[in-house]
Amino acid sequence: MRVVHYVNQFFAGIGGEDSAGSGPELRDGATGPGRKLASLLGDEHEIIATAVCGDDYAAAHAEFAAELVSGARERGAEMILAGPAFTSGRYGMACARIAAAASEAGLPALACMHPDNPGLGEAAGTTVVQSGLTARQMKDSLERFAAAALKVAAGEELTAQDGRIGPVARANRLADHNAAERAVALVITRLGGDRDATEIPLPDFDSVTPAAPIDDAAQALFALVTEGGFVPVGNPDRLESARATKWVRYSLDGLDSVDEGAFMSVHGGFSTQWANADPNRILPLDVAREMERDGAIGRLHGEVLATTGNGTTVADARRFGMEWAAELRQQNIQAAILTAT
Amino acid sequence: MQAQAGAGLTRIVHDVRGLDLGERTTYEAGRVTVGEDSVLTLLRDPAFAEIRLGCASPGDSVRIVGVLDAVQPCSKGPGGGGVFPGLLGPPMPVGRGETHVLRGAAVLAAGFLPRAQEAVIDMSGPAAPLSPLAATHNLVVEWTPAEDASWEDVDHALRRGLVKVAAHLAEAALEAEPDGVEELSEPAASTGNGTPRVGVILNLQTQGKFKDVFVYGRSLSGGLPTVISPTELDDGAVVSGQFGHPALKNPTYLHQTHPVVAALRASDELHLAALVLCPEPVNQADKELVSAHAARLCAALKLDAAIATKEGGGNADADVSLKMDRLEEEGIATVGILAEMAGRDGTGPPLVVPPTKANALVSTGNYDERMTLPAVDRALGRDRIALLDQPSTDEIELPVAVIYCAQSTLGWGRLTCAEPAIA
Repeated sequence: MRVVHYVNQFFAGIGGEDSAGSGPELRDGATGPGRKLASLLGDEHEIIATAVCGDDYAAAHAEFAAELVSGARERGAEMILAGPAFTSGRYGMACARIAAAASEAGLPALACMHPDNPGLGEAAGTTVVQSGLTARQMKDSLERFAAAALKVAAGEELTAQDGRIGPVARANRLADHNAAERAVALVITRLGGDRDATEIPLPDFDSVTPAAPIDDAAQALFALVTEGGFVPVGNPDRLESARATKWVRYSLDGLDSVDEGAFMSVHGGFSTQWANADPNRILPLDVAREMERDGAIGRLHGEVLATTGNGTTVADARRFGMEWAAELRQQNIQAAILTAT
Repeated sequence: MQAQAGAGLTRIVHDVRGLDLGERTTYEAGRVTVGEDSVLTLLRDPAFAEIRLGCASPGDSVRIVGVLDAVQPCSKGPGGGGVFPGLLGPPMPVGRGETHVLRGAAVLAAGFLPRAQEAVIDMSGPAAPLSPLAATHNLVVEWTPAEDASWEDVDHALRRGLVKVAAHLAEAALEAEPDGVEELSEPAASTGNGTPRVGVILNLQTQGKFKDVFVYGRSLSGGLPTVISPTELDDGAVVSGQFGHPALKNPTYLHQTHPVVAALRASDELHLAALVLCPEPVNQADKELVSAHAARLCAALKLDAAIATKEGGGNADADVSLKMDRLEEEGIATVGILAEMAGRDGTGPPLVVPPTKANALVSTGNYDERMTLPAVDRALGRDRIALLDQPSTDEIELPVAVIYCAQSTLGWGRLTCAEPAIA
């Protein structure tokens, strides 16, 4: 099979975090870990090209995946492989998006990352195989990746024994008894000594290590971001009031405050009466501008990033967070104030 | 709350098999005729410019949009006295004596109120099996607010109006031959025979205007848990004024017919020993306090087990999870009933705040999963579905989250969620 392999800017040898904003491109042949992967795939398969994109660019521009997959198809790709991304979040998300875009385009595809990689949440509709924690486990990871890729190339389904990981889809159905009767039955089971019985496996939330404090706020570029459903009056982009699937951005240039009649909240989870009477209550631009003038903070970024945090799925919230982080990093912003409601 | 021996409520059941508008309110051979003039008079209020009445029965090609509260008709005697204490009847403890109910009927309000997330009931089709109010013969109240009325006035007028109409309809059956007579005893101080004592923890949302629940006419906001007899629910001691999260809503109807209370009453193996009402505060410290206090109340009542339910979205998961953890610490085995928020494809983490010490959970299904509802002949409540900007009678695609009471953790529904296979 003719294979296109995806790696990030680091594994393509372009550079580290300073090059994370580099855009998508296709290069001839195998690059970096792709060379070892090519040899493990054997003579029947050939890595004809390497797809590359900077992690920040990929996180901020979801369309990079479709672009690279379409370029790969033009070159005659018959299968797409992505990774291994280990525990690197933006890289993992990019690998998941590439594999998902390839699967959607009807190409066999496989991504490789560690089960703790937050990008795994983006892998619905495609297949992911487990890598090690870090690049120190590159050799083992590539061996498992190649073995799984050979199975995928042969049209076989991967199982947990092949190292398959990924989101498990839960689907609604009607039970034989109503929830109240099932709860009573579960009490009896529980009193009978069974301490494990449940209908909902408990989720295991990842924890995020906060970034180090900034050295000097007076020199730093600050951004205001919010999940308070903050929009211009009229809600031109139709940001949802609940279960948001997107985020929006609005210019703050030339504004000293966000005023009643110009901005509002569409959040459906609290009474917006007081937010609408003074939108600075959810986006404290008035105070931030004062601090900017007084030199307490270096400068304020010219755009607000906003969404609605109300019944939002964790997968969407995680995606917004990664996209915001990439966006802010690309703008060289050192600090963000996220007003929560 | 412990009663003398034999205390309890006699529930006199009249089954309803049809409901229509007519000249005079009557109940005959299972058919309710709603006297239009008398009901409009009961609903009359300065907050309304106009009131309209509609009917919807199971199997009808009808969609009810913007459903607010729903109430089961009940009465303790002529004049409406006694039921819905603090709102219709005097604010004194109820739950004893006799109460007539029209089983299979409900009075609903449907239309716009601020903060009320749009709720949908389809009386037929794929969503009908998910909603308790698609299984009842419904009198639907629609209104046009008066120009000078505040939304709070409209809300109050609707709440008072619905319970008045509910009592009025049931009054028509007071002299009818009942279809069933049920003796509902109050919890016993001790079971004596070793039957495990199980409490029902009923978390009530307390988030201010349009998101509050009333107990004897007052909000539990700012208070601590309290214990009442389950029979007080049957007489309408708890009335809902909470209009968020349609699928997770616990309308007055489900408090009156509380499915967990019903399932425990029906159990030979367990004794329904207490009903603990708890506010759902909005901040974490208060949630912790209320949960710890509820657990101590349950321990004082010598409970062996408890079943906890919630009302509202993600933050209310904490009200169940914290109580489960505190109860387990008191040595009380606890089961929580929760809805899942696992994303459109069902692959996300199912809970916002999971318990850390307890783990016995019953699922009322994934809130984010979408379903398609076919076009219907007519709509009540609202002409358009604002959420989709579509006429209410169209074929629509919506998340389960919008189907009225489809995932109520009071446990009426059979909806659940499971893993069929790896994605």
